[in-house]
Amino acid sequence: MIEVDHVHKSFGKVYAVRGVSFSVPKGSVVGVLGPNGAGKSTTIRMITGTVPPTRGSVRVDGLDSIDQSLKVRRRLGYLPESNPLYPEMRVTDFLAFRARLFGLSGKARKAGMDRAISRCWLDDVRSRRVGQLSKGYRQRVGLAAAMLHDPPVLILDEPTSGLDPAQIAETRQLIRELAGDHTMLIVSHILPEVEKSCDRLLIFARGQIQADGSADDLLRDLAQKQGFSLEVRGTDGNPKTALAAMPRIERVETDPNGRSGDGRHALRVIVEKSADDPGAIIGDACHELRLTVRSLRPATATLEALYIRLVEQADKATAKVSEQSKPESEAA
Amino acid sequence: MGATFTVAWREYASFFRSSIGWLVIALYLFLSGLFASDTIIPGQPATMRDLFSLSHWLLLIVAPAISMRLLSEELRSGTIESLMTAPISDWHIVMGKYLAALAFLVTMLLPTLAHVGVIELLASPDYGPILAGYLGLILVGACYLAVGLFFSSLTRNQIVAFLSTLFFFVLLAFVSSQNVAVRVDDPLRSLLFGLSINLRIADFAKGVFDTSHAAFFLAIVVLFVVLSVVGVESRRWR
Repeated sequence: MIEVDHVHKSFGKVYAVRGVSFSVPKGSVVGVLGPNGAGKSTTIRMITGTVPPTRGSVRVDGLDSIDQSLKVRRRLGYLPESNPLYPEMRVTDFLAFRARLFGLSGKARKAGMDRAISRCWLDDVRSRRVGQLSKGYRQRVGLAAAMLHDPPVLILDEPTSGLDPAQIAETRQLIRELAGDHTMLIVSHILPEVEKSCDRLLIFARGQIQADGSADDLLRDLAQKQGFSLEVRGTDGNPKTALAAMPRIERVETDPNGRSGDGRHALRVIVEKSADDPGAIIGDACHELRLTVRSLRPATATLEALYIRLVEQADKATAKVSEQSKPESEAA
Repeated sequence: MGATFTVAWREYASFFRSSIGWLVIALYLFLSGLFASDTIIPGQPATMRDLFSLSHWLLLIVAPAISMRLLSEELRSGTIESLMTAPISDWHIVMGKYLAALAFLVTMLLPTLAHVGVIELLASPDYGPILAGYLGLILVGACYLAVGLFFSSLTRNQIVAFLSTLFFFVLLAFVSSQNVAVRVDDPLRSLLFGLSINLRIADFAKGVFDTSHAAFFLAIVVLFVVLSVVGVESRRWR
């Protein structure tokens, strides 16, 4: 279990992470998404205890990541983003070295190595030098090193980077297998990847969590926000204002992507969040207003659209804040 | 302790897995052998004085070449992150690195025992000075390595680590030299002479093993190993 509680991290005057809180319950797989520089890696470094938070606290299985750092590190399996390895070492030597660092000796070490080698499909390359391996194999060596000591908590930063589609599918399968008895935090840029492997998503931007929920929930929420694309043929008056006045309809906008004119109106209709069947509400409203519906469909909600929307929102909010704070700082 | 040896053993082995370890040994043995080759003269005492005094100078170049990669390479490749997230303390990391470098230094000196064998065949050498000479080499080397380890904890660039270490000792030799130290007045003058590594080396080469010299070098080792730990720890706070 990972608990991140109101964590801030600043480097000098620059805030990398601003008030991040989330928890990963035992046995669940949480995906972390966000653009470069969003604060994902810094948050992960605070969980692994490499970097102490400026404010707030991080606990892993109830242990503080700074005060009980060594105990926390023993429970963590961590694959860093850059996947640093010693190129001059052979795969088995490297894994044995990592196993020793985690205090494994004798039979336990051998068992841990055998398990990691077979789970990460490294049998063919076990006596090869790490530096001679392809990027995909090196990635698997990093993954094997992270799970050698069978840690209850796994943190994988870009686990599938450099892998081909078949290997990505295998890794996803491995993550699914490990999910049952491991708590996992997975950072990725590949959206479908995270959508498929994770129970829950955290979307980071500008040092904050912009969204937290399952892919289904987030997409449902996005679909509600994006509303329906509606094309109607109106008689008299303005169907936009008429529709907006109807019950349970929150907002009506002109659809920038649709074609209007010639008696046709392309609209974007957003229904109240509590509505069970928003399509029917729009249909009924059009019926009542005697509008001929030419087409009605929900705007496509994809994780990509959600991601872009959240990142843009965060960027705008930050720009606003910095504009507002400008005159103050000049006055000071 | 186990973690220290794990780190040390990996580091020691990696000297031999890469070309740098072999090159450093070859360079040292070649130069020391070359200059010590005409020191056995009929009628003269059989000593290894020339080899030792030359080796002290060679160590000034060779030791920073050994120490430059210790932490810099980990910082450059990012492997330091996997060490810092392993359940070992920064002390284990630094001590492991230092012991590996020291072990490598001793390994490098071992083949020079051939000189002892040659002298033994030709004459009956006095083993006291030889032992003192070796102890002196190891102590001076240990001191160079500790300072080199510290500089390598500060930079990811091995060349910067190498040159900083070299510059440190050249500067130290300069301020503690006869020409400079005699120009200042006493409390400072004796302090500067006290810091002189060359004066202490001269004693070791003569075969004099002075415990105050040993204490001096050990103090520098302790100081710079501690500073290296601080250097590594400071990464967590940046």
